[in-house]
Amino acid sequence: MRAPFRIVFEQRSETPKYLSAFVPLVSVLAALLAGAIFLMATGYSVGETYSNMLQDGFLSSRGLTDTLGLSTVLICMGIGAAFAFQMNLYNIGGEGQGYLGMIGGAWAGLALGPHLPSVIMIPTVLLIGAAFGAVWIFVPAFVRARLGTSEIVTTLLLTYIAASLVNHFIYTPNSYFRAPDVTFPMGRTVPDSAKLTALGDTRMYPTFFIVVALALFLFWIVKRTEFGYRIQVIADSPRAAHYAGINARRTTMQVMLISGALAGLGGATLIVGEFGKLDPGITMLGYGYAGIVIAALARNNFAAIIVSGILFSGLRVGGDKLQITTSTPIHIGVMLQGAILLFALGGEAFRRYKIRTVRMQAVAQ
Amino acid sequence: MNSNIWILTSANAVTIATTLILAALGALFTERAGVLNLGVEGILLTSAISSFLAADSSGSIWVGLLVGSAVGAVLAGIHAVLTVVLRANQIVSGLALVIFGTGLANFLGKPAEGKTVTTIIQPLTFGPLTRIPVLGPILFEHDIITYGTIAFAIGSAWYLFRTRPGLELRATGDDPATVDAQGLSVARIRIRYTLLGGALIGLGGSWLMLAQSAAWHQAATTNGIGWIALALVVFAGWHPVRLIFGAVLFGFCLRLPFTLQAEQITFIPSAFMQMLPYAATLVALIALSRPGSKNLRGAPKSLGNPFVRDER
Repeated sequence: MRAPFRIVFEQRSETPKYLSAFVPLVSVLAALLAGAIFLMATGYSVGETYSNMLQDGFLSSRGLTDTLGLSTVLICMGIGAAFAFQMNLYNIGGEGQGYLGMIGGAWAGLALGPHLPSVIMIPTVLLIGAAFGAVWIFVPAFVRARLGTSEIVTTLLLTYIAASLVNHFIYTPNSYFRAPDVTFPMGRTVPDSAKLTALGDTRMYPTFFIVVALALFLFWIVKRTEFGYRIQVIADSPRAAHYAGINARRTTMQVMLISGALAGLGGATLIVGEFGKLDPGITMLGYGYAGIVIAALARNNFAAIIVSGILFSGLRVGGDKLQITTSTPIHIGVMLQGAILLFALGGEAFRRYKIRTVRMQAVAQ
Repeated sequence: MNSNIWILTSANAVTIATTLILAALGALFTERAGVLNLGVEGILLTSAISSFLAADSSGSIWVGLLVGSAVGAVLAGIHAVLTVVLRANQIVSGLALVIFGTGLANFLGKPAEGKTVTTIIQPLTFGPLTRIPVLGPILFEHDIITYGTIAFAIGSAWYLFRTRPGLELRATGDDPATVDAQGLSVARIRIRYTLLGGALIGLGGSWLMLAQSAAWHQAATTNGIGWIALALVVFAGWHPVRLIFGAVLFGFCLRLPFTLQAEQITFIPSAFMQMLPYAATLVALIALSRPGSKNLRGAPKSLGNPFVRDER
């Protein structure tokens, strides 16, 4: 028994501008709707949950600054993921590269902080964090460029190794990174010269503006420079790139190393910012994984990542506060992130194709 | 040196291998049809907690296993609709499933924290075989799911390489255009095996929950086993029987840190022992790569590519 009609996908030659903004918007609303149905089915209050999330994530001044503060690391992870994704390189190990960025940043802060002024220390911590992130992706990048080994699994496996490394540095007695005078295992705080002060009475740090500027700079790089053009050609057609004499191996290395460095930078912003030390709690927060979602929702557009990063940050901040304000489990925040991405992926089809139903007779062979 | 601990480690390796084989077999069937489902970790977690809740409320392990498998199939169904019907990017869809599944599992698991299931799956008894020194405890003290899984893996090899539907499945992963030209529906085959794969992964997650841990712990229940399963498929060259040996090897690697700790072998920091299975997988992956080709040895040739007829 066959359906009396079939669904036909017609490739659009040009996507209408309004759809590019409309589709992500509808995906967010659809995900919220699905979440609402789910909340009702499991017996939690929809109105209370959502109004609290909105209030604590976006509308109250405390909530908004918390959201912008958290969005710093999320946007950074997002641009890191997107930088590789745009060339169809799926670096999903930003999480682990971020840990390494924290390790590198904390090391720089502890080792050099007592001797150098703040003006030099802050950039040093950030750059060394970025360098550590790049080091952590070096092996996946190298084997991807030389042997073609799938970067998906290798970058991810290295995340687990990085997590063990963080734990090792904190739980080993007399570790360099461990606070010396307390029995409870925790990180040693970096000297004041390696830390920024928060803006006013908020949890926002000046790194937010650095990261936003960086996202806009990358937007420009990709759209307006020869390097960006090379990336686009390889992404669209590796064969055309080959005939155009573009060295795909070298570009692969460059793009993946930059991607890792950006994730490492994200980790380092936590050292000069909120954390101020290497903290094993980072392995529970999943900022790197969130970056993947943020990049995918923004379809690897670096300017759009700023928006989706702030949106996701608000969902997290609002979600995490649910524990205090309502009985709804805080994991609804993570669930909604996943649901938004799933709906956005489905909506993508409507952006790329005209979808019509055709009566079976019309297409009978 | 205490030999009992090493025997126990080996027996535990077989136990962990059961989940690994089930999850990896699920991924293998899905990938053989040309669909890459990276959502294994999310499916494992969600089916684990679903099976726990179902077993807890119904009082029956078997209901738990059934519900867990069904939930696995449903989640894989989302992936199938997105990637096969709507032609979404398979990698991003899989990752979305991991994030969604993790959130969903932790949400559902909230009321289950601290609870344990009272009935457990009993190991089968083989009478005198169990008393064989060394081999007895390693090979003959497992439950029916473990033995069933190994038998199923061997049966899968036969199905894949010796039957007509198996041939069609492999062809769909290697050269969907030919399958299409034969008058078969590529989409239908891909959806069918993605669902089957999801059910197998779901069974693996449920078994992990009900036979092994018996208590829900949000962070530690799967501990990255889903990702190891995906690497295992590559390691086994997409062959179900090699999967069995790979899974036991990986299972041994996963248990080794605990054994070394118990043996008080401390010259290697325990963090480095925790890294071992991941590092071993990494080395294996790199060693199995073929220079100059994106495809690994034995990989389905159009893995990850959506099939679009009008673009031919």
